[in-house]
Parts: sequence; C-alpha cells; structure tokens
Amino acid sequence: MKTFSVGDWTKSRLISVVVALIFCFLCQLAFGGDGLKIYLRLLFSLVGIYVTLAVSLNLINGITGQFSIGHAAFYQIGAYTAALLGSTYFSNMANHSSLLWLFMAMIFSAIVAGVAGFIVGLPSLRLRGDYLAVVTLGIGEIVNIIVKNQKSLGEAYGLSTAKYESTVFAVVLLAIICIAVSRNLLKTSHGLAFLAVREDEIASSAMGVNLTKVKVTAFVLGSAFAGAAGALYAHTKGFVGPADFSMDTSFLILTMVVLGGTGSITGTTCAAIVLFIIPEKMRDMHDLMLGVPIGVAIGIMVGVGMLKKIQDTFHGDGKVRFGMNIGSMVLGIIVAYGASKLLCTIHGLQTMVNGQLFRMPVLAITLVVVMLLRPQGIFGHNEFSWSWVQKLIGKKNVPEAEVAA
Amino acid sequence: MTTLSALPLASVDFTTLPQQLVNGFLLGAIYALVALGYTMVYGVLKLINFAHGEVFMLGSYGALFTSWMLGFGPGGNEALTGSWVTLVIMLFGSMLVSGTAGFLIERFAYRPIRNHPRIASLITAIGLSLLLQYGGQIFLLQGGKQAINSKVNPYADDLTFNLVKPDQKLAAEAATYQKRVDDAQVAKDKQFEHEPDRFNPSPLGVSLEKTLNELKEKQSDITNKANLTAVTLKIPKGKLIMLTAILGLMCSLWYLVMKTRMGRAMRAVSVDFNAASLMGINLNTVITFTFILGSTLAGAGAMMYSTFQAAPIDSFSGAAPGVKAFVAAVLGGIGNIPGAVLGALVMGIAENLVTWSGYSSYRDAIAFVILIGVLLFRPGGILGSNKVEKV
Amino acid sequence: MSILTLKDATIKFGGLTAVNSVSFELNKGDLFGLIGPNGAGKTTCFNIITGVYEPTSGEILFNGKRITGTPSNKIAQLGICRTFQNIRLFQSMTSLENVVVGGFLRHKTVLGSALCYLPGAIKETEKLKLQALELLKLVDLDDVANTRSRDLPYGKQRRLEIARALATQPQLLLLDEPAAGMNPNEKKELLDMVKKIRDELGVTVLLIEHDMKFVMNLCEKIFVLDHGEEIAQGPPSEIRSNPKVIAAYLGEAV
Repeated sequence: MKTFSVGDWTKSRLISVVVALIFCFLCQLAFGGDGLKIYLRLLFSLVGIYVTLAVSLNLINGITGQFSIGHAAFYQIGAYTAALLGSTYFSNMANHSSLLWLFMAMIFSAIVAGVAGFIVGLPSLRLRGDYLAVVTLGIGEIVNIIVKNQKSLGEAYGLSTAKYESTVFAVVLLAIICIAVSRNLLKTSHGLAFLAVREDEIASSAMGVNLTKVKVTAFVLGSAFAGAAGALYAHTKGFVGPADFSMDTSFLILTMVVLGGTGSITGTTCAAIVLFIIPEKMRDMHDLMLGVPIGVAIGIMVGVGMLKKIQDTFHGDGKVRFGMNIGSMVLGIIVAYGASKLLCTIHGLQTMVNGQLFRMPVLAITLVVVMLLRPQGIFGHNEFSWSWVQKLIGKKNVPEAEVAA
Repeated sequence: MTTLSALPLASVDFTTLPQQLVNGFLLGAIYALVALGYTMVYGVLKLINFAHGEVFMLGSYGALFTSWMLGFGPGGNEALTGSWVTLVIMLFGSMLVSGTAGFLIERFAYRPIRNHPRIASLITAIGLSLLLQYGGQIFLLQGGKQAINSKVNPYADDLTFNLVKPDQKLAAEAATYQKRVDDAQVAKDKQFEHEPDRFNPSPLGVSLEKTLNELKEKQSDITNKANLTAVTLKIPKGKLIMLTAILGLMCSLWYLVMKTRMGRAMRAVSVDFNAASLMGINLNTVITFTFILGSTLAGAGAMMYSTFQAAPIDSFSGAAPGVKAFVAAVLGGIGNIPGAVLGALVMGIAENLVTWSGYSSYRDAIAFVILIGVLLFRPGGILGSNKVEKV
Repeated sequence: MSILTLKDATIKFGGLTAVNSVSFELNKGDLFGLIGPNGAGKTTCFNIITGVYEPTSGEILFNGKRITGTPSNKIAQLGICRTFQNIRLFQSMTSLENVVVGGFLRHKTVLGSALCYLPGAIKETEKLKLQALELLKLVDLDDVANTRSRDLPYGKQRRLEIARALATQPQLLLLDEPAAGMNPNEKKELLDMVKKIRDELGVTVLLIEHDMKFVMNLCEKIFVLDHGEEIAQGPPSEIRSNPKVIAAYLGEAV
C-alpha cells in the first residue's frame, strides 16, 4: 500500500518544477536566437502555442465532453487583448523586461478570454452534443466578423504589436503548465467528476456532481489557456489579423484533439506537434504534377481499405495483426508511389499545381481516415505511463494500476 | 432631421422594403431546398451533415458544366440564347451531380462509422466538408471564380407592379414641369435653327439653353421626389418560374414522404432507428435514399442559386448557403420538414433585411445570431418539440 | 421518525397525469417497496424525489425539510441517492473510479488545490479511493475494481450502481428495479446485500421491483401504485390479499 507522504510530495514537485524550468531555458537557448533561426523560432513557438491550444480544448472537449468547435474565438480574444494592450500601454516601455511584460499580457489575456469562456459556457448548460458544437462554431464566426468590422481592431488588416524573442521560454512554460494542470486534474477526484459529466450527465448529477460548475469551470479554464496562448502568438509574430483565427484554425485544433484521442493529454500533445509541423512543412512544397496527389489518394484508399478489412475481420494474435497493419501501410505507400509515377506519364495529368494547396486537404483526409479506422483517436482514452508502454510492447505481467493496491 | 440621421436606420429607404421582402422570400425559397436535405438527414440519422453545403457546391458546378456543354461556355457561340429546355437540362445536370455526390458520401464516409459514437460521424462530416472545399480548390479553381453565363436565362426581364402610386400633387407638378421643359426645348431648338454657329451661340441662345437646363434639373428633381413616394415591385420572370419549380419539388417531396412506402419507411426510421430495423425496414436503403433525395434537392437549389441569383461559383461557395440553410433547418425544428421551409423563408428575409438596413458586412453573422437565439430560447425550433431525455 | 414524506405529489406532462396526488411516509430504517404494473408512475416518483422533475403540485419533505424543486445534485448532497432502471454507469471509467465519483460530493478541497496537485487534494482523493474499495468489497466487486464498467456483466453493473450510490453516504437509498435481469441466485445475494446495507450502514431503502417474491421477502412496507394513483399501502401480508392489487395485476399476485 502506497501512502501519501508530504516529504515525497515536496521532493517530486520540486524536481518537476526545476526540470520544467531548465527545459524552458534550453528551448530558449536552442530556438530563441536571431538570424537564420527566425523561421525555426517561429515554427517552434507556434508548435508550443498549438500544443497549449489543443490541450486546453481537450479539457473542454475530451475531458468534460462538451463538444466545442469554436476554440479559435478565445485564442483570438487573447491575441487581440495582448496586441491592444501592447500597442497602447507598452509601446513606450520597450526597454523593460520583455519577459515580465509577456507574463502580464498572458495573465490579462487569460482573464479576458476566461470571461468570454464563462459567457460561452453558460449556453452549454442547456445544449448538448451537436447543438453545442454548432453554437460554439457560430460564436467563433461572430467574434471574427465583429473583429473584421471594428475600426479600433484594425478591421481586416489586423493590428501590429511588439515582437519579442523571449516568447520561446514563455511558450514552452505555458504548454507545460497547461499539460500539468490537465494531468493534475485527472489525477484527483475532481477530474473524475469532470469525466463523469462526459460519460453521463444525468447520473453524475444524481451522484451530487454540480453540472453547472463543472461545465463552466471547464470552459473558463480551457478558454483562459487559449487566451494566454493568443497573447504569446501576438508577441511571437508581432502582428494579429482576423485571417489567423478563422474557422479553419478551430478545425485544426479540433483535429489535433480528435486525432490524438479525445480525453488523452498525451495523444493530444503528440497530435498537436505532428499536425502542426506537417502542414507547415507543406508550405515549402514546390509545384508538383497533378498526377501525384491522385496517385497518393489511390495509395491511401488501398492502404486504408486494407487496414479497415483487417480490423473488421482479423481477430487473431496481436503481433500478427500488428504486422499485417504495418504491411498494409507499406503496401499503401508503394501503391501511392507507383501510381503517381504512372499517372505522371499521362499528358493531361502533368499540369503543375502549387503544393501549398494541399495543406488543408491533407488535414481533412487525416481526419476522415482516423475516424474511419479508429474513431476513439490514436491514443483513445489512454495516457502515457510506463506500465502502458510495457503493455504495448507485450509484457504480460503488468501490475494492475497501483491505485487499487 | 439631425436626430433621425443619428439613428442607425436613417439610411434606410422604406419604399424599397416590399421589394426587399420579396427578394428575401425568393432567396429563402432556395434555402428551403437546401435546408430540406439537412433536416431529412438529421431526421433519419440524427447527424448534422456538414458536407451538405459542399454537395450544394458540387451541384452548382454540375449546372455550370452542363451549361458549358450546351454551348454557353467560354469561347462559345455569342449569339446563342437559352430557352426553358436549357434551364431544365441544367437543373437535371446539377441534380444528378449532387445526388451522386450525396450517395458517395453516405456510402463511403458515413456508413462505415454509423455504429460509432455520433461525435465520430460529426467529425467525419467536418472533415469531408474541408476535404471537398480545399480538395475542390485544387481541381476546380484553376480558372478562379466562375459564373453561369447570364444568357442561359431567357426570362431575365422584370414584371413590374405598382403597389403605391406616386404622390398625386407631386406627380401633377412633375407633369407641368415636363410640359415647361418641352416648351423650352421647342423654343431653344427654334432659336438654334437660326444660329449661325451652333457651338458659339448668341446671348439669346445662351439664355434659352440655360433656362432649359434649369428646367430639366427641376423636373428630374420633382420626378425623383414623386418616384420616392411610389412603391414598386420588380420581379424577374425567371424567379417566378423558379418559385413555381420549387413549389413543384416540395409538393412531390410531400407526396413522397407522406404517401409512398419509402416515405413511410423514412418516417419510421426517423422515429426509432432500431425498431424500424426490427420491423424489417432495410436501413441502408432508406438512409441511402434519404441522402440522395436531400442531395438532389440541394442540387436543384444550387442550380437556381447560381442561375437566377447569379451567384459566383468556387469550391467554397457552398459554405455560406450551407450554413444558412442549416440554421434554417434548426430554426424550423430540425427533423421537421415544414419547419425547414418556414425557417428558410425567415432566414432569407432576415438576410435581406440586414443588408437593406445598411449592415451588409454583418450579413453572414445574422445566421449565427439567429441560431444561437433559437437554441437558447427555444431549442426545439419554431415547429419542433424539445425532447427530454428519458430517465 | 419520518425521513421522507410525500404530500399529494402530482406531476403532469402535458395532458398526462403521470403521478396523481401520491402521499406516503418513510421512517428511518425502513425497507420500503414501491410496486405497480408497468407505466404506473413508479420511476416518475423517483424522479420527483431526486429532483430530475419538479412536481406540478404537492410537496416532498426530507427529514422535515421541504426539498421540492431542489436540483438533483443538491438532493444527493442532502443524503438521497438512487440507482437507475436502465443502468447509467460511467461506462468508460473503471469500477473504482465510478464509486469515487459517488464519493466526490464529500470531497472537501477546492478545485484549485487539485489543479496545483496540492497535498490536500491528493490525500482527499486517496481517502475516497479507500472508501470506494471498502464499498466494492461490500457489494463483492473488489476483484473487478480496475475493470472498465461497461465490460462488466449485467448483474455486476447493477451492484456497482448500488456501490456508487452508497459512496455518496446517503441516508435514503432509492433502488430502481435492482433485481431486473438477475438469476435466482443473484437475486438472493442481492436480497442479503440490501438487508446488510440497511442493518450495517443504517441506510433507509426505498425500492421499485417487479419481482413480487423479492419484494415480499425483503420489504416491511409496500406501496402500490397504478395509473399514477395509490391503490394500497401496508405490510406485505395485507398487500398480498388486497383485491384491488390483485385486480391491478390481473390476478397474477403472488
């Protein structure tokens, strides 16, 4: 029986905080510089921001089960708050510590976005499932349309604000805090109450869980983190414009949560990193022949079809199944390669297309394919833990989770 | 007057209100066709088919390409004009394209995950919608925004109705001014006949010309004033034909749903999915049929939207009408067929009124504002009933 | 001493009167049965008591305090908890987690402490887990503590629901058809368990059940409902021979 001791707790907390801070410093050292690294810094900061966004949406969407798809609205509110503050109050204080200002901007944006989250969280009490989804989507759109029409917010042109180098440190710290808060929540009985609301509202209410409080808390927490992320975005780019917060942004964040596994912090984090880097890298893609995407599409269809077939019909040994899955993926890649080579020899398919156009279709295909093959997301409800890794690689003698011991 | 101009509605011209209402009604009728697809699919599958707007978009392309095939494409014969046959062929073309799209979407995207949690199908729907928008961009947007050649529509001329005649006194005044203008014209012409140099007239000629111009200005001023008191309605003949066609489609839909075997099956499935299946109804057939039906109606709406409303077409052009039609369906009570029509008419009129009152940049926001209002205060919609979960 | 009193409780859904002027009184430590044919309004009674629906008229007193119109989470806090006819477990959570959620309303730390992972919240969570394990032992489910509840067989799910309700530390426990779908053996075990809950934990039990033998053996007092109205009230022996009850059950009374 493992019992709780304050000494152990202090030690482990101290170690995690110190490790986290060191990690933030290292990231700042590695990516924070000037010169050639500017692009890298931007990319890295954005990855961190999107991790925060995805994990904070996961809090609303995955853990509490409130299907919100307008997360970009809170992100936008945070970004504009920081940009406005920065241009009105901080323009002549440029010599002060930028990190201090960043934290102030983050806190302020978080508060403003949290209030907005509270306002949006209220309707969630009356609405369920798809209806809530549509309303949050609508709120996201309304916020964007209002911003586009406000002179003081720069209309469609956006606002510019100060640009800082120290954002990398703040970005990583925010992402870590966001992940830690979610994880802490799930480790205590409070988090179980959140999960219970996701599972069954009527039953959890009958068990004494205050639905109003849980739902609104989730919305406020999630949107506050999104707002803080927005503040960092504004100061990373030095500019905010309505186009950065369109419906597509909301869908991108949603895709991260869904792909990683709704409710799984680990999954969401991984998905956020992968899903942000891949489309971003595709921006650099040069012109390619029209035959290539068609060939790739055929390859995906073959691979996915095989995977689906295996999942539906094969119930044998896990290792064989794993091998077959890998095999069908490899086959899909080979088919994709062969088909695109072949198709590019056809005259009509040799037209050049801008590779950038493929960013969103790739995201969309990922979303659909994951839903077809694994609707619970790649990680499902699972979290990263060492016993889980052991189970995954096939060790049978895994001790049952320690909680029961 | 200062107080009035300070009001946000000061720029509003009330004599154009009836025209706006009629325009809104006609636009709403098109939305109704699209909203029916949302509502039927929701009724049967309890799924918000986010890709319905994209089915609509494909339908517009269907109409566009059909018109090209009929010779109205770029570089076609300039002298060619359309007839009702052209319009009918285009209608069938777009219905065929969108019907096929709806069938494929159901078969390959929704059916495999029908038994998974509903959120999974909702996300698939979002994914499909994005895929069709951005994927379509690659294949369809090579030539930028397209529009259907206006010559396919032979019924572009207006029917004019005078609802309120111009103010009698002003009209009489305008008539007297007209007479004075005519007299001055005659006097001027007479004088100018004798002028040796027309471009450098004598002082008398100059003064006559000046009087004439002053009178003309006054006359047009008065006529304008008189016209402002008049209320006229202009409806293109084509739109009336469109409205008739929409009514026809709706009546056949009503017949199909209420009177045929398949319609009965559809209604049964919408009441209880599992029970209907146990009663020997083939779910796959019913669902496929519903999708094809809804998509075909959306295709018809798309053809009308792009032909009679002359809306430009690109791969994103389905999103806005799609959202509005969806809001219409929710407004009327989703799953409720008459509700969808009613909601769509309200939406169409609301949209036109927002533009009319000078807030056209908020035109797309109004849909969401209405949606949120409805869901918060009457979640079941106008005609729908709010179901309480059974404990 | 009376723990729960219904006074002329009535609820109407549109034109339908689901429960019409029902009054009964439960004393502390009672084992009280609520029976009646299908659609008689029994579950609706539960829903009124637990605040899922608000009665159209009449009032409900718990420990002498009026609780009509109180939201259901407050009612759970006051000490009334229930199980559901169509099992409503938190399906993708383990048995243990299900029971911990039941105990959550006695959790004493604030959310902030949980978010920062402060010792208070951890200790409190561990306490709840220990309590949950005890309860799982009571309903004989400690061997499946870490199994996801949707993977449990039907009978175990019913028992888990009882454990979860007990975790809220209720004074009054409402069981909605606890024996439905159980075999005779399981029913006998359940009977003993309910008795144990009353005797050892001192919880008053109000239960709905269709199995007459089960109700007659278990309950000390029975209330019969038909078409939303009271037709009989009294100890099992009286109910058994009541002609109205027999008529309501079409002569199928035990």
